[in-house]
Amino acid sequence: MPSALRAEGLTVRFGGNVAVSDVSLALAPGEILGLIGPNGAGKTTLFNALTGYVTPESGRVSLFDRDITRLAPHERARAGCGRTFQTERPFEELTVLENVLVAAFLHEPRRSGAERLARETLEQVGLGDRADQPAGDLNLARRRRLELAKALATRPRVIFLDEVMAGLNPPALREMIAFVSELSRKGLAVLMVEHIMEAIVELSDHVIVMASGAKIAEGAPEAVMRDERVIEAYLGTD
Amino acid sequence: MRTHLLGLAAFVALGLAYPVLFPSALTIAITILLFVGWATAWDVLGGWAGQVSLGHAAFVGLGAYFVAIGVTEYGLAPWWSALLGMAVAAALAFAWGWLTFGLRGPYFTLSTIAFAEILRLVAINEGWLTGGATGVFIMTLPEPFGLDLFDRQTQYWLALGFAVLVIGIVVALSRGRFGYALRAVREDEDAAMAAGIDPKRTKLKAFMLSGALTALGGGLYGIVLSFLEPHVMFYLLLSVQIALTAIIGGRGTIWGPAAGAMVLIGSGEVFRTTFAEANLLIYGVLILVIVLFAPRGLVGEATRRAIRRRYAKRAQS
Repeated sequence: MPSALRAEGLTVRFGGNVAVSDVSLALAPGEILGLIGPNGAGKTTLFNALTGYVTPESGRVSLFDRDITRLAPHERARAGCGRTFQTERPFEELTVLENVLVAAFLHEPRRSGAERLARETLEQVGLGDRADQPAGDLNLARRRRLELAKALATRPRVIFLDEVMAGLNPPALREMIAFVSELSRKGLAVLMVEHIMEAIVELSDHVIVMASGAKIAEGAPEAVMRDERVIEAYLGTD
Repeated sequence: MRTHLLGLAAFVALGLAYPVLFPSALTIAITILLFVGWATAWDVLGGWAGQVSLGHAAFVGLGAYFVAIGVTEYGLAPWWSALLGMAVAAALAFAWGWLTFGLRGPYFTLSTIAFAEILRLVAINEGWLTGGATGVFIMTLPEPFGLDLFDRQTQYWLALGFAVLVIGIVVALSRGRFGYALRAVREDEDAAMAAGIDPKRTKLKAFMLSGALTALGGGLYGIVLSFLEPHVMFYLLLSVQIALTAIIGGRGTIWGPAAGAMVLIGSGEVFRTTFAEANLLIYGVLILVIVLFAPRGLVGEATRRAIRRRYAKRAQS
Protein backbone atom coordinates (compact mmCIF):
# COMPACT_ATOMS: atom_id res chain seq x y z
CA MET A 1 0.00 0.00 0.00
CA PRO A 2 1.39 3.46 -0.86
CA SER A 3 2.06 5.94 1.89
CA ALA A 4 -0.58 8.61 2.20
CA LEU A 5 2.03 10.86 3.71
CA ARG A 6 5.76 10.42 3.85
CA ALA A 7 8.43 12.72 5.24
CA GLU A 8 12.12 12.04 4.89
CA GLY A 9 14.84 13.77 6.87
CA LEU A 10 12.91 16.95 7.59
CA THR A 11 15.02 19.63 9.25
CA VAL A 12 13.72 23.07 10.14
CA ARG A 13 16.00 25.78 11.45
CA PHE A 14 14.95 29.15 12.85
CA GLY A 15 18.06 31.31 12.80
CA GLY A 16 20.61 29.26 14.72
CA ASN A 17 18.06 27.02 16.44
CA VAL A 18 17.19 23.64 15.07
CA ALA A 19 13.44 23.32 15.68
CA VAL A 20 13.04 20.02 13.86
CA SER A 21 16.01 17.77 13.30
CA ASP A 22 16.07 15.03 10.67
CA VAL A 23 12.57 13.66 11.26
CA SER A 24 11.12 10.99 9.00
CA LEU A 25 7.66 9.47 9.15
CA ALA A 26 5.22 7.49 7.06
CA LEU A 27 1.49 7.19 7.28
CA ALA A 28 -0.83 4.85 5.39
CA PRO A 29 -4.46 5.56 4.42
CA GLY A 30 -6.78 4.79 7.34
CA GLU A 31 -3.92 4.93 9.80
CA ILE A 32 -3.73 7.24 12.81
CA LEU A 33 -0.31 8.56 13.76
CA GLY A 34 0.00 10.28 17.13
CA LEU A 35 2.69 12.88 17.59
CA ILE A 36 3.57 13.57 21.22
CA GLY A 37 6.31 15.21 23.21
CA PRO A 38 6.83 17.87 25.84
CA ASN A 39 6.22 21.55 25.09
CA GLY A 40 8.82 23.00 22.77
CA ALA A 41 9.64 19.59 21.29
CA GLY A 42 8.99 20.85 17.78
CA LYS A 43 5.66 19.09 17.17
CA THR A 44 3.86 22.14 15.85
CA THR A 45 6.86 23.15 13.73
CA LEU A 46 6.96 19.68 12.21
CA PHE A 47 3.24 19.99 11.60
CA ASN A 48 3.74 23.32 9.88
CA ALA A 49 6.57 21.95 7.76
CA LEU A 50 4.33 19.09 6.63
CA THR A 51 1.46 21.42 5.76
CA GLY A 52 3.64 24.04 4.10
CA TYR A 53 3.45 26.86 6.63
CA VAL A 54 7.15 26.57 7.43
CA THR A 55 9.86 25.93 4.85
CA PRO A 56 12.20 23.13 5.82
CA GLU A 57 15.93 23.55 5.36
CA SER A 58 16.27 20.02 4.06
CA GLY A 59 14.26 16.87 3.62
CA ARG A 60 11.20 16.09 1.54
CA VAL A 61 7.49 15.58 2.01
CA SER A 62 5.31 13.52 -0.30
CA LEU A 63 1.60 12.89 -0.49
CA PHE A 64 0.62 9.63 -2.18
CA ASP A 65 4.05 9.56 -3.81
CA ARG A 66 3.73 13.10 -5.11
CA ASP A 67 6.51 15.39 -3.94
CA ILE A 68 4.88 18.37 -2.21
CA THR A 69 7.98 19.77 -0.50
CA ARG A 70 7.95 22.96 -2.58
CA LEU A 71 4.21 23.54 -2.50
CA ALA A 72 2.64 26.48 -0.66
CA PRO A 73 0.00 25.72 2.02
CA HIS A 74 -2.95 26.43 -0.28
CA GLU A 75 -1.49 24.15 -2.93
CA ARG A 76 -1.09 21.38 -0.37
CA ALA A 77 -4.70 21.90 0.66
CA ARG A 78 -5.69 21.40 -2.97
CA ALA A 79 -3.49 18.30 -3.13
CA GLY A 80 -5.37 16.78 -0.20
CA CYS A 81 -3.91 18.05 3.08
CA GLY A 82 -6.57 19.22 5.52
CA ARG A 83 -5.54 20.83 8.76
CA THR A 84 -6.89 22.35 11.92
CA PHE A 85 -5.17 25.04 13.92
CA GLN A 86 -4.11 24.70 17.53
CA THR A 87 -5.66 28.04 18.40
CA GLU A 88 -8.89 27.50 16.51
CA ARG A 89 -9.43 30.13 13.89
CA PRO A 90 -13.01 30.61 12.80
CA PHE A 91 -13.63 33.43 10.35
CA GLU A 92 -15.34 35.37 13.12
CA GLU A 93 -17.40 37.70 10.97
CA LEU A 94 -18.92 34.83 9.03
CA THR A 95 -21.62 32.44 10.16
CA VAL A 96 -20.83 28.82 10.98
CA LEU A 97 -22.18 27.69 7.62
CA GLU A 98 -20.20 30.33 5.74
CA ASN A 99 -17.01 29.25 7.49
CA VAL A 100 -17.43 25.75 6.11
CA LEU A 101 -18.58 27.09 2.75
CA VAL A 102 -15.20 28.78 2.30
CA ALA A 103 -13.57 25.36 2.48
CA ALA A 104 -16.32 23.56 0.55
CA PHE A 105 -15.78 25.85 -2.45
CA LEU A 106 -12.38 24.19 -2.95
CA HIS A 107 -13.89 21.21 -4.73
CA GLU A 108 -17.42 22.48 -5.32
CA PRO A 109 -17.09 25.71 -7.28
CA ARG A 110 -20.85 26.24 -7.52
CA ARG A 111 -22.78 27.69 -4.61
CA SER A 112 -25.46 24.98 -4.53
CA GLY A 113 -22.95 22.14 -4.43
CA ALA A 114 -20.73 23.89 -1.92
CA GLU A 115 -23.65 24.65 0.35
CA ARG A 116 -24.83 21.04 0.25
CA LEU A 117 -21.33 19.81 1.11
CA ALA A 118 -21.00 22.39 3.90
CA ARG A 119 -24.34 21.42 5.46
CA GLU A 120 -23.50 17.73 5.26
CA THR A 121 -20.16 18.35 6.92
CA LEU A 122 -21.81 20.39 9.67
CA GLU A 123 -24.28 17.58 10.32
CA GLN A 124 -21.38 15.16 10.45
CA VAL A 125 -19.61 17.11 13.21
CA GLY A 126 -22.87 17.81 15.03
CA LEU A 127 -23.15 21.50 14.27
CA GLY A 128 -26.11 21.23 11.93
CA ASP A 129 -28.34 23.31 14.18
CA ARG A 130 -25.72 26.07 14.51
CA ALA A 131 -25.36 26.83 10.80
CA ASP A 132 -26.66 30.39 10.99
CA GLN A 133 -24.89 31.45 14.16
CA PRO A 134 -21.99 33.91 13.89
CA ALA A 135 -18.87 31.76 14.26
CA GLY A 136 -17.34 34.18 16.76
CA ASP A 137 -20.12 33.31 19.23
CA LEU A 138 -19.35 29.57 19.47
CA ASN A 139 -17.94 28.04 22.66
CA LEU A 140 -14.65 26.15 22.70
CA ALA A 141 -15.94 22.64 22.05
CA ARG A 142 -18.04 23.84 19.13
CA ARG A 143 -15.17 25.89 17.72
CA ARG A 144 -13.12 22.69 17.66
CA ARG A 145 -15.82 20.93 15.72
CA LEU A 146 -16.04 23.85 13.36
CA GLU A 147 -12.27 23.59 12.79
CA LEU A 148 -12.77 19.94 11.96
CA ALA A 149 -15.66 20.71 9.64
CA LYS A 150 -13.57 23.31 7.81
CA ALA A 151 -10.75 20.81 7.33
CA LEU A 152 -13.11 18.02 6.25
CA ALA A 153 -15.00 20.17 3.76
CA THR A 154 -11.82 20.43 1.67
CA ARG A 155 -12.19 16.64 1.13
CA PRO A 156 -8.70 15.85 2.39
CA ARG A 157 -6.88 12.55 2.01
CA VAL A 158 -4.64 13.27 4.96
CA ILE A 159 -5.92 15.25 7.91
CA PHE A 160 -3.67 17.06 10.36
CA LEU A 161 -5.26 17.58 13.77
CA ASP A 162 -3.42 20.01 16.02
CA GLU A 163 -4.58 19.44 19.60
CA VAL A 164 -8.26 19.15 18.82
CA MET A 165 -8.88 17.42 22.17
CA ALA A 166 -7.29 20.01 24.45
CA GLY A 167 -9.61 21.68 26.94
CA LEU A 168 -12.62 19.49 26.16
CA ASN A 169 -14.75 18.20 29.04
CA PRO A 170 -15.03 14.38 29.36
CA PRO A 171 -18.21 13.87 27.31
CA ALA A 172 -16.96 16.18 24.56
CA LEU A 173 -13.64 14.36 24.62
CA ARG A 174 -15.34 10.98 24.19
CA GLU A 175 -17.29 12.31 21.23
CA MET A 176 -14.19 13.71 19.60
CA ILE A 177 -12.29 10.43 20.06
CA ALA A 178 -15.17 8.50 18.49
CA PHE A 179 -15.29 10.98 15.65
CA VAL A 180 -11.58 10.78 14.82
CA SER A 181 -11.74 7.00 14.97
CA GLU A 182 -14.64 7.10 12.51
CA LEU A 183 -12.60 9.27 10.12
CA SER A 184 -9.79 6.74 9.96
CA ARG A 185 -12.28 3.91 9.45
CA LYS A 186 -13.43 5.78 6.36
CA GLY A 187 -9.89 5.60 5.03
CA LEU A 188 -8.57 9.00 5.94
CA ALA A 189 -4.96 9.14 7.09
CA VAL A 190 -4.80 11.05 10.38
CA LEU A 191 -1.79 12.78 11.88
CA MET A 192 -2.53 14.22 15.29
CA VAL A 193 -0.56 16.26 17.74
CA GLU A 194 -2.07 15.68 21.14
CA HIS A 195 -1.32 16.09 24.82
CA ILE A 196 -4.30 14.05 26.02
CA MET A 197 -2.74 10.60 26.51
CA GLU A 198 -6.12 8.91 26.76
CA ALA A 199 -6.82 9.95 23.18
CA ILE A 200 -3.35 9.01 21.95
CA VAL A 201 -3.42 5.53 23.47
CA GLU A 202 -6.92 4.80 22.33
CA LEU A 203 -6.65 6.12 18.79
CA SER A 204 -3.09 5.83 17.53
CA ASP A 205 -1.92 2.90 15.47
CA HIS A 206 1.50 4.32 15.78
CA VAL A 207 3.14 6.97 17.95
CA ILE A 208 6.13 9.22 17.38
CA VAL A 209 7.70 10.93 20.37
CA MET A 210 9.67 14.11 19.88
CA ALA A 211 11.97 15.99 22.22
CA SER A 212 14.16 18.98 21.42
CA GLY A 213 13.30 18.76 17.75
CA ALA A 214 14.30 15.15 17.27
CA LYS A 215 12.38 11.90 17.08
CA ILE A 216 13.35 9.95 20.20
CA ALA A 217 10.97 7.01 20.04
CA GLU A 218 8.48 5.40 17.72
CA GLY A 219 6.15 2.43 17.86
CA ALA A 220 2.89 1.13 19.22
CA PRO A 221 1.42 3.45 21.89
CA GLU A 222 1.75 1.09 24.89
CA ALA A 223 5.35 0.19 24.05
CA VAL A 224 6.34 3.80 23.54
CA MET A 225 4.85 4.87 26.87
CA ARG A 226 7.14 2.42 28.68
CA ASP A 227 10.24 3.57 26.80
CA GLU A 228 13.01 4.86 29.11
CA ARG A 229 13.85 7.83 26.88
CA VAL A 230 10.23 8.89 26.69
CA ILE A 231 9.75 8.82 30.44
CA GLU A 232 12.98 10.75 30.79
CA ALA A 233 11.93 13.36 28.24
CA TYR A 234 8.62 13.94 30.00
CA LEU A 235 9.71 13.72 33.62
CA GLY A 236 13.39 14.66 33.42
CA THR A 237 16.14 12.70 35.15
CA ASP A 238 17.12 13.00 38.79
CA MET B 1 -29.76 36.92 -2.50
CA ARG B 2 -33.42 37.74 -3.05
CA THR B 3 -33.25 40.59 -0.56
CA HIS B 4 -30.29 42.06 -2.40
CA LEU B 5 -31.95 41.77 -5.79
CA LEU B 6 -35.03 43.46 -4.32
CA GLY B 7 -32.74 46.12 -2.91
CA LEU B 8 -31.17 46.59 -6.31
CA ALA B 9 -34.62 46.87 -7.89
CA ALA B 10 -35.62 49.47 -5.30
CA PHE B 11 -32.40 51.36 -5.96
CA VAL B 12 -33.09 51.39 -9.70
CA ALA B 13 -36.70 52.50 -9.10
CA LEU B 14 -35.47 55.35 -6.90
CA GLY B 15 -32.93 56.24 -9.56
CA LEU B 16 -35.61 56.31 -12.27
CA ALA B 17 -37.96 58.44 -10.17
CA TYR B 18 -35.37 60.97 -9.02
CA PRO B 19 -34.99 63.07 -12.21
CA VAL B 20 -38.78 63.39 -12.40
CA LEU B 21 -39.02 64.51 -8.78
CA PHE B 22 -35.96 66.75 -8.64
CA PRO B 23 -35.10 67.76 -12.20
CA SER B 24 -33.10 70.75 -11.01
CA ALA B 25 -30.84 68.81 -8.61
CA LEU B 26 -29.14 66.43 -11.03
CA THR B 27 -25.55 67.50 -10.41
CA ILE B 28 -25.59 66.49 -6.75
CA ALA B 29 -27.27 63.20 -7.68
CA ILE B 30 -24.55 62.50 -10.25
CA THR B 31 -21.89 63.11 -7.60
CA ILE B 32 -23.68 60.81 -5.16
CA LEU B 33 -24.04 58.07 -7.78
CA LEU B 34 -20.38 58.31 -8.74
CA PHE B 35 -19.46 57.94 -5.08
CA VAL B 36 -21.88 55.03 -4.71
CA GLY B 37 -20.01 53.27 -7.51
CA TRP B 38 -16.53 54.25 -6.37
CA ALA B 39 -17.09 53.38 -2.71
CA THR B 40 -18.67 50.05 -3.67
CA ALA B 41 -15.75 49.31 -6.01
CA TRP B 42 -13.28 50.40 -3.31
CA ASP B 43 -14.99 48.06 -0.90
CA VAL B 44 -14.28 44.99 -3.05
CA LEU B 45 -10.66 45.49 -2.02
CA GLY B 46 -10.98 47.53 1.18
CA GLY B 47 -13.98 45.82 2.75
CA TRP B 48 -14.34 42.34 1.28
CA ALA B 49 -10.63 41.62 0.99
CA GLY B 50 -9.69 43.87 3.93
CA GLN B 51 -6.93 45.76 2.09
CA VAL B 52 -7.50 49.46 2.78
CA SER B 53 -6.44 51.64 -0.13
CA LEU B 54 -5.90 55.39 0.15
CA GLY B 55 -4.93 55.66 -3.48
CA HIS B 56 -8.15 55.07 -5.38
CA ALA B 57 -8.08 58.61 -6.76
CA ALA B 58 -5.34 57.22 -8.99
CA PHE B 59 -7.91 55.05 -10.76
CA VAL B 60 -10.41 57.89 -10.95
CA GLY B 61 -7.70 60.02 -12.54
CA LEU B 62 -6.63 57.28 -14.92
CA GLY B 63 -10.15 56.76 -16.20
CA ALA B 64 -10.79 60.50 -16.54
CA TYR B 65 -7.49 61.20 -18.31
CA PHE B 66 -7.90 58.29 -20.70
CA VAL B 67 -11.30 59.56 -21.75
CA ALA B 68 -10.17 63.19 -21.99
CA ILE B 69 -6.93 62.53 -23.87
CA GLY B 70 -8.59 59.91 -26.03
CA VAL B 71 -11.20 62.40 -27.15
CA THR B 72 -9.03 65.49 -27.49
CA GLU B 73 -5.80 64.01 -28.88
CA TYR B 74 -6.76 60.83 -30.68
CA GLY B 75 -10.42 61.30 -31.52
CA LEU B 76 -11.19 58.08 -29.70
CA ALA B 77 -14.80 57.59 -28.57
CA PRO B 78 -15.10 57.87 -24.76
CA TRP B 79 -16.47 54.34 -24.31
CA TRP B 80 -13.43 52.84 -25.99
CA SER B 81 -11.00 54.97 -24.06
CA ALA B 82 -12.91 54.20 -20.84
CA LEU B 83 -12.42 50.49 -21.55
CA LEU B 84 -8.76 51.13 -22.25
CA GLY B 85 -8.52 53.09 -18.99
CA MET B 86 -10.09 50.17 -17.12
CA ALA B 87 -7.61 47.74 -18.65
CA VAL B 88 -4.68 49.98 -17.73
CA ALA B 89 -6.09 50.45 -14.22
CA ALA B 90 -6.30 46.68 -13.82
CA ALA B 91 -2.76 46.26 -15.12
CA LEU B 92 -1.41 48.90 -12.74
CA ALA B 93 -3.34 47.37 -9.84
CA PHE B 94 -1.79 44.03 -10.70
CA ALA B 95 1.72 45.49 -10.81
CA TRP B 96 1.25 47.48 -7.63
CA GLY B 97 -0.37 44.59 -5.80
CA TRP B 98 2.36 42.23 -6.93
CA LEU B 99 4.93 44.51 -5.35
CA THR B 100 3.08 45.36 -2.16
CA PHE B 101 0.79 42.51 -1.13
CA GLY B 102 3.69 40.98 0.70
CA LEU B 103 3.27 43.91 3.08
CA ARG B 104 0.83 43.38 5.90
CA GLY B 105 -1.15 45.84 7.96
CA PRO B 106 -0.83 49.58 7.36
CA TYR B 107 2.10 49.32 4.93
CA PHE B 108 -0.05 48.39 1.98
CA THR B 109 -2.26 51.38 2.75
CA LEU B 110 0.72 53.72 2.90
CA SER B 111 2.04 52.38 -0.38
CA THR B 112 -1.25 53.19 -2.12
CA ILE B 113 -0.86 56.86 -1.16
CA ALA B 114 2.50 56.80 -2.90
CA PHE B 115 0.93 55.05 -5.90
CA ALA B 116 -1.60 57.86 -6.47
CA GLU B 117 1.03 60.48 -5.79
CA ILE B 118 3.31 59.00 -8.47
CA LEU B 119 0.51 59.18 -11.02
CA ARG B 120 -0.25 62.77 -9.98
CA LEU B 121 3.38 63.74 -10.54
CA VAL B 122 3.39 62.02 -13.90
CA ALA B 123 0.25 63.93 -14.87
CA ILE B 124 1.84 67.23 -13.81
CA ASN B 125 5.22 66.67 -15.41
CA GLU B 126 4.40 64.90 -18.65
CA GLY B 127 2.72 67.97 -20.10
CA TRP B 128 2.95 66.77 -23.71
CA LEU B 129 0.47 64.02 -22.84
CA THR B 130 -1.65 65.37 -20.02
CA GLY B 131 -1.59 69.13 -20.41
CA GLY B 132 0.53 69.31 -17.26
CA ALA B 133 -0.60 71.38 -14.29
CA THR B 134 -2.96 73.42 -16.47
CA GLY B 135 -5.02 70.35 -17.25
CA VAL B 136 -7.18 69.22 -20.17
CA PHE B 137 -10.48 70.57 -21.45
CA ILE B 138 -12.98 68.29 -23.10
CA MET B 139 -14.52 70.56 -25.74
CA THR B 140 -16.34 68.12 -27.99
CA LEU B 141 -17.79 64.66 -27.49
CA PRO B 142 -19.35 62.26 -29.95
CA GLU B 143 -23.13 61.88 -29.82
CA PRO B 144 -23.98 58.17 -29.74
CA PHE B 145 -27.62 57.62 -30.79
CA GLY B 146 -28.02 61.39 -30.73
CA LEU B 147 -27.28 61.58 -27.00
CA ASP B 148 -25.58 64.75 -25.80
CA LEU B 149 -22.96 63.56 -23.32
CA PHE B 150 -22.58 67.10 -21.97
CA ASP B 151 -26.23 67.07 -20.94
CA ARG B 152 -26.77 66.57 -17.19
CA GLN B 153 -29.73 64.31 -17.83
CA THR B 154 -27.62 61.94 -19.96
CA GLN B 155 -24.81 62.04 -17.44
CA TYR B 156 -27.27 61.20 -14.70
CA TRP B 157 -28.39 58.03 -16.50
CA LEU B 158 -24.81 57.02 -17.12
CA ALA B 159 -23.94 57.58 -13.45
CA LEU B 160 -26.98 55.54 -12.41
CA GLY B 161 -25.91 52.78 -14.78
CA PHE B 162 -22.40 52.85 -13.34
CA ALA B 163 -23.64 52.61 -9.74
CA VAL B 164 -26.08 49.79 -10.56
CA LEU B 165 -23.40 47.89 -12.49
CA VAL B 166 -20.93 48.00 -9.59
CA ILE B 167 -23.51 47.05 -6.96
CA GLY B 168 -24.78 44.29 -9.26
CA ILE B 169 -21.27 42.86 -9.56
CA VAL B 170 -20.86 42.87 -5.79
CA VAL B 171 -24.27 41.22 -5.28
CA ALA B 172 -23.25 38.51 -7.75
CA LEU B 173 -19.85 37.83 -6.22
CA SER B 174 -21.00 38.05 -2.60
CA ARG B 175 -22.59 34.61 -2.67
CA GLY B 176 -20.03 32.81 -4.74
CA ARG B 177 -16.61 31.29 -4.38
CA PHE B 178 -14.66 34.48 -5.03
CA GLY B 179 -16.71 36.49 -2.52
CA TYR B 180 -16.02 33.96 0.22
CA ALA B 181 -12.34 33.73 -0.71
CA LEU B 182 -12.13 37.51 -0.27
CA ARG B 183 -13.72 37.37 3.19
CA ALA B 184 -11.59 34.42 4.24
CA VAL B 185 -8.41 36.26 3.26
CA ARG B 186 -9.56 39.33 5.16
CA GLU B 187 -10.31 37.36 8.30
CA ASP B 188 -7.25 35.11 8.45
CA GLU B 189 -4.78 34.42 5.65
CA ASP B 190 -3.34 31.27 7.23
CA ALA B 191 -6.76 29.75 7.74
CA ALA B 192 -7.72 30.78 4.21
CA MET B 193 -4.71 28.90 2.83
CA ALA B 194 -5.80 25.82 4.77
CA ALA B 195 -8.99 25.99 2.69
CA GLY B 196 -6.94 26.01 -0.51
CA ILE B 197 -7.21 29.76 -1.12
CA ASP B 198 -4.22 31.63 -2.53
CA PRO B 199 -4.25 34.92 -0.58
CA LYS B 200 -2.02 36.90 -2.92
CA ARG B 201 -3.88 35.86 -6.04
CA THR B 202 -7.21 36.60 -4.37
CA LYS B 203 -6.08 40.07 -3.30
CA LEU B 204 -4.68 40.79 -6.76
CA LYS B 205 -7.96 39.88 -8.40
CA ALA B 206 -9.84 42.10 -5.94
CA PHE B 207 -7.46 45.00 -6.54
CA MET B 208 -7.74 44.67 -10.33
CA LEU B 209 -11.53 44.50 -10.28
CA SER B 210 -11.74 47.38 -7.81
CA GLY B 211 -9.32 49.54 -9.83
CA ALA B 212 -10.95 48.85 -13.18
CA LEU B 213 -14.45 49.69 -11.91
CA THR B 214 -13.21 52.86 -10.23
CA ALA B 215 -11.56 53.90 -13.50
CA LEU B 216 -14.87 53.40 -15.32
CA GLY B 217 -16.49 55.89 -12.94
CA GLY B 218 -13.45 58.11 -13.40
CA GLY B 219 -14.05 58.26 -17.14
CA LEU B 220 -17.59 59.39 -16.50
CA TYR B 221 -16.35 61.93 -13.93
CA GLY B 222 -14.02 63.38 -16.55
CA ILE B 223 -16.97 63.91 -18.88
CA VAL B 224 -19.08 65.40 -16.07
CA LEU B 225 -16.38 67.91 -15.13
CA SER B 226 -15.13 68.26 -18.73
CA PHE B 227 -12.06 69.87 -17.24
CA LEU B 228 -9.31 67.76 -15.68
CA GLU B 229 -6.36 68.85 -13.62
CA PRO B 230 -3.92 66.60 -11.74
CA HIS B 231 -4.56 68.31 -8.40
CA VAL B 232 -8.20 67.26 -8.47
CA MET B 233 -7.99 63.89 -10.22
CA PHE B 234 -5.21 62.22 -8.32
CA TYR B 235 -5.80 64.10 -5.08
CA LEU B 236 -5.32 62.33 -1.75
CA LEU B 237 -8.48 63.99 -0.44
CA LEU B 238 -10.53 62.22 -3.11
CA SER B 239 -8.94 58.89 -2.15
CA VAL B 240 -9.74 59.54 1.49
CA GLN B 241 -13.30 60.53 0.66
CA ILE B 242 -13.90 57.32 -1.29
CA ALA B 243 -12.47 55.19 1.52
CA LEU B 244 -14.34 57.14 4.21
CA THR B 245 -17.63 56.78 2.36
CA ALA B 246 -17.30 53.01 2.30
CA ILE B 247 -16.08 52.78 5.89
CA ILE B 248 -18.85 54.97 7.31
CA GLY B 249 -21.46 53.04 5.37
CA GLY B 250 -20.10 49.65 6.35
CA ARG B 251 -17.10 47.80 4.96
CA GLY B 252 -17.70 44.41 3.45
CA THR B 253 -21.46 44.89 3.15
CA ILE B 254 -23.30 45.16 -0.13
CA TRP B 255 -25.27 48.31 0.64
CA GLY B 256 -22.91 49.99 3.10
CA PRO B 257 -20.81 51.98 0.61
CA ALA B 258 -23.96 53.11 -1.22
CA ALA B 259 -25.57 54.20 2.05
CA GLY B 260 -22.34 55.94 3.01
CA ALA B 261 -22.31 57.88 -0.25
CA MET B 262 -25.90 59.01 0.19
CA VAL B 263 -25.36 60.06 3.82
CA LEU B 264 -21.94 61.67 3.47
CA ILE B 265 -22.14 63.31 0.06
CA GLY B 266 -25.81 64.16 0.49
CA SER B 267 -25.39 65.68 3.95
CA GLY B 268 -22.17 67.36 2.87
CA GLU B 269 -24.16 69.21 0.25
CA VAL B 270 -26.99 70.08 2.64
CA PHE B 271 -24.52 71.30 5.28
CA ARG B 272 -22.67 73.40 2.74
CA THR B 273 -25.80 75.24 1.70
CA THR B 274 -27.39 75.61 5.14
CA PHE B 275 -24.49 76.10 7.55
CA ALA B 276 -22.06 77.97 5.33
CA GLU B 277 -18.81 78.34 7.28
CA ALA B 278 -19.62 75.73 9.91
CA ASN B 279 -20.33 72.96 7.40
CA LEU B 280 -17.00 71.14 7.73
CA LEU B 281 -17.28 71.20 11.52
CA ILE B 282 -20.72 69.62 11.42
CA TYR B 283 -19.56 67.16 8.77
CA GLY B 284 -16.69 66.16 11.05
CA VAL B 285 -19.02 65.71 14.02
CA LEU B 286 -21.31 63.51 11.93
CA ILE B 287 -18.40 61.25 10.96
CA LEU B 288 -17.24 61.12 14.56
CA VAL B 289 -20.69 60.13 15.83
CA ILE B 290 -21.01 57.34 13.27
CA VAL B 291 -17.54 56.00 13.99
CA LEU B 292 -18.19 56.06 17.75
CA PHE B 293 -21.63 54.49 17.75
CA ALA B 294 -21.45 52.30 14.67
CA PRO B 295 -17.83 51.19 14.34
CA ARG B 296 -18.77 48.65 11.68
CA GLY B 297 -20.47 51.36 9.67
CA LEU B 298 -24.17 52.10 9.33
CA VAL B 299 -25.14 49.02 7.35
CA GLY B 300 -22.50 46.85 9.03
CA GLU B 301 -24.05 47.32 12.48
CA ALA B 302 -27.55 46.83 11.18
CA THR B 303 -26.81 43.53 9.40
CA ARG B 304 -24.84 42.11 12.30
CA ARG B 305 -27.75 42.81 14.61
CA ALA B 306 -30.17 41.30 12.12
CA ILE B 307 -28.09 38.10 11.88
CA ARG B 308 -27.95 37.79 15.68
CA ARG B 309 -31.66 38.44 16.04
CA ARG B 310 -32.58 35.98 13.33
CA TYR B 311 -30.43 33.29 14.92
CA ALA B 312 -31.81 33.99 18.41
CA LYS B 313 -35.36 33.72 17.14
CA ARG B 314 -34.66 30.47 15.34
CA ALA B 315 -32.88 29.01 18.37
CA GLN B 316 -35.91 29.77 20.59
CA SER B 317 -38.49 28.25 18.32
